[in-house]
Amino acid sequence: MSDAQAGSVDAFTELVQSYRHRLLRFLLSRCASYADAEDALQDTMISAFRYIRSYDSRWRFSTWLYRIAIRNAAKLRTPEVIEIGDLRDEESDPLLQCIADSETENLWVHARRLLTDEVFAAMWLRYAEDMSVKDISKTLDRSASWTKVNLLRGRRALDAELNSVTNESEAYG
Amino acid sequence: MDKLAQQLRNDAEKIEVTVSDQLDHRIAASLQNVTPENESYAAPRSHRPALFWWASSLTGIAAAVAVIVIVNTRQPVEPAAPTPSSIAAAVPVIDWKAETAMLAGPLQQELDALQSDIRRAEREVRDDIGL
Repeated sequence: MSDAQAGSVDAFTELVQSYRHRLLRFLLSRCASYADAEDALQDTMISAFRYIRSYDSRWRFSTWLYRIAIRNAAKLRTPEVIEIGDLRDEESDPLLQCIADSETENLWVHARRLLTDEVFAAMWLRYAEDMSVKDISKTLDRSASWTKVNLLRGRRALDAELNSVTNESEAYG
Repeated sequence: MDKLAQQLRNDAEKIEVTVSDQLDHRIAASLQNVTPENESYAAPRSHRPALFWWASSLTGIAAAVAVIVIVNTRQPVEPAAPTPSSIAAAVPVIDWKAETAMLAGPLQQELDALQSDIRRAEREVRDDIGL
């Protein structure tokens, strides 16, 4: 970290190496296309390196990175695309495309359909990135109570969806 | 960790994304042109200078003092006790008869018209039955 803060590109690259895939996966849920997600990742890396001296070690490095990533993804949203949820069909949603490519059942498909962008992001940070409620609040710029309530709502929505899917499959034998 | 949380984690890991070599090169090339800065990533909030707060506080205090001084230095004006003659002069004299006539006039006209109609109808009935 200290080398990166001193301006070493190599040290910084090594520092963020393990976050690139995770960040790109997360950014796919915040951007309108794969190309936008890649651009957002590039902007995130540039911003993170430029402002690395302001990183506060009281917070997890990933929290800081995700916060930057969310802001950069928001910058790429055109005025016509207010809600990424408008694009949530499998053909145009980059995250759903990736899930479809893996050809396996995936709970995040249901999450994508049922949850709003912000609740989806909170759920993603909690369960895919294992962030604490405090870190999620910081990353999404929301209160801890908002985060707790919406994580609970997200879970309930997914639980209900899973139960209905299970019941349907049992009904069909 | 419960079942749902475990499934969400596993399913997130199943989502395959690749950071292409092209993107890697793009990022590396961009970073070469960047040098770390000392300012924070978060946009700095616009801080008003301390002088602004002092000036506004002093203005507020000065205004409050001015109001207190004005209220306390002003002598209370005793209201003059009204005399019977002044009350009589102040109250307008109403012409009750004119008022009554003005209000009852339209009703009287209506009554006259109705009575005239009744008389005309009575005459027509009498003519019809040959009285």
